[in-house]
Amino acid sequence: MIWKTAWKNVWRNKIRSLVVISSVTIGIFAGVFSIALMNGMIDQRINDAFNDEISDIQVTTKDFRINNDPGLTITDPEKALKEIGSVNGTGKMVERLIITGMANSAYKSTGVQIIGIDPLREKEVFTIYKKLIPGTGDYFENDQKTNLALIGETLAKDLNIIRYTIDTATISRLKKEGVPAGITDKLQSLAGIKFVSEKQFLKKMKSVFTAAEARQYGPKIRNAAWTFREGARLTLTFLDKDNNQVGAVFRLTGLFRMSNSIYEKTTVFVKNKDLLKLTGLAENSTHQIIIKIDDLKQTERITDDLALKLPGLEVTSWKKIAPDLAMMTDMVQQFYLIFGLIILAALAFGIINTMLMVVMERTRELGMLTAIGMNKKKVFSMIMLESVFLSLIGGVTGMIFSFLVVKLTMHTGIDLSQYAEGFGALGYSAVIYPQINAGFFIIVTILIIITGMVSSIYPSLKALKLNPVEAIRTE
Amino acid sequence: MKVIEIKNVSKIYNESEIQVRAVDNVSLDFKEAEFAAIVGPSGSGKTTLLNLIGGLDMPTSGEIIIDGTDLSALKSSELIDFRMRNIGFVFQAYNLIPVLTAKENVEFIMSLQKWSKQDRDARTFELLKAVGLFERANSRPTKMSGGQQQRIAVARALASRPKFVLADEPTANLDSKSAATLLEIMEKLNHEEKITFIFSTHDARVVKMAHRVITLEDGKVVTDDVRE
Repeated sequence: MIWKTAWKNVWRNKIRSLVVISSVTIGIFAGVFSIALMNGMIDQRINDAFNDEISDIQVTTKDFRINNDPGLTITDPEKALKEIGSVNGTGKMVERLIITGMANSAYKSTGVQIIGIDPLREKEVFTIYKKLIPGTGDYFENDQKTNLALIGETLAKDLNIIRYTIDTATISRLKKEGVPAGITDKLQSLAGIKFVSEKQFLKKMKSVFTAAEARQYGPKIRNAAWTFREGARLTLTFLDKDNNQVGAVFRLTGLFRMSNSIYEKTTVFVKNKDLLKLTGLAENSTHQIIIKIDDLKQTERITDDLALKLPGLEVTSWKKIAPDLAMMTDMVQQFYLIFGLIILAALAFGIINTMLMVVMERTRELGMLTAIGMNKKKVFSMIMLESVFLSLIGGVTGMIFSFLVVKLTMHTGIDLSQYAEGFGALGYSAVIYPQINAGFFIIVTILIIITGMVSSIYPSLKALKLNPVEAIRTE
Repeated sequence: MKVIEIKNVSKIYNESEIQVRAVDNVSLDFKEAEFAAIVGPSGSGKTTLLNLIGGLDMPTSGEIIIDGTDLSALKSSELIDFRMRNIGFVFQAYNLIPVLTAKENVEFIMSLQKWSKQDRDARTFELLKAVGLFERANSRPTKMSGGQQQRIAVARALASRPKFVLADEPTANLDSKSAATLLEIMEKLNHEEKITFIFSTHDARVVKMAHRVITLEDGKVVTDDVRE
């Protein structure tokens, strides 16, 4: 009967209850969805870092990470691989050559890290082959060709390898994509001009279109005008094993696109056999062994075990290579907790206020209930239940809303392309795919119930202090 | 047989610097199944005396013994439990729970006492029939007249078969027809269930039906008239 009465009491003042429920709903939705967004961002960053950039554990010679001397190769990689394989929890491995050098096009030069890879084995550890921009080539598919290079879109833009061209094909593609005739007509004035850099192209666009037009159609036009010629060339220069400068012309086999624009801008992948030949390093030389592990929670243990097995080499875990990621994974739970507590505290004050009003309004009724024999525990429980019902209805509604919105956006993503440059510089994708697990909803439900219970304590104590004789006399 | 003993009971309120003796050295006994009215002008101490008998308030001095239990010896929680098991209350303003139906209001006290659903239903329908509101079992108090609400309040007071019912001005807000109906019902229940009814009232109709009329003035008993 206490449950039934408490439930009915919630709906005694429908408008007030609905206002409280709505505020709880909005608060929970905002909290859960924000956390889902952050989850999505962090997960993407961590996945990209592990799958495309650093992987889990790296083995190099001592000091290689500091001075990148091409001569600091692992002496007996076969033996090292065997030792690594014997450590419990290690998975796939791949060797890499890493040379610091310059990438040069006819227009520009920039410093890069040239990574020599075995394309087939690399696929077992890294997923960069999945990041190839369609239509720009392939992932070292032609084994016969030498001196092929795979570079990122940002580097290609920096070296003016990517051009922007408006021609009839561009205009008809834009028309198909629904760009209005007024816009495509304006583009006719740019037909036939080849822009060697994105900067030049955007400058011209600004002169042709209004700010609103550029904002609305700019990204579509830029994508349509983007051109890349497969087989374009770039020269890579670097030091060989004897510290002599060497260089060679490489043809681009393809372009990759990833969230981390810094990595995209500074990394060139080539076949390791090409790099071995150019640097004069012995066959099977390697600078780095990358190791996947089965469970990231075992990182420390496996790193320590590997360090014992490979005494002359440096074993570095992802936590040391990318301390920002380590901090992110360590702190994210605490951050969510603080964030959640702030939202729940705000909700709690709203509920306390409402329940205090409820107690004041029902003074006479509460006095009557005590008079006829409802003990303090039951009065307390009734008010607590009302408070829990209020918060739970709002909380569950908020969670249903957030679940639906997350479900809706987890595949389509939330496009924040206008901030792509900033996101990219930090290694984040401009398209965020929110995600949340079922366990989180259970935790939130428990926290909401606790918030409802805690919020009811003060109003309930107020109710318990009522003197039945005085309370019954209350008008 | 005495079921309520009031021995030299006084209740003094300290209002600012002035002491108000709401009940002044009152001694009274009530027997089983009495139908008694406490009358007197406003401020004579009727409601205070009723509250003291019901354990809602504690006397400044004196003893109140109900069915062998000295109320002043009970802790707060024991007193609440004692009220629940032994005393039914009827208030001037009905004080029903507006969100519950008539049936739910009546069975509320039984559910506090953990009666089984079957027993609760049986007793509730028995009482609703007795007060003539069986058909309105599922109506909320807000949809009922004052008289009907007070009849539900009487049914609620009797629900857990208390030994005593204390009614504070039960007819004050009712028209004469509703008041007469209510009084008839209470008298019938008093007779059938052997429950002691004590009213505080101004209402001459209640006084006329009462078997015993106690008159208070300035907190003192001035007359105690028992009728045959």
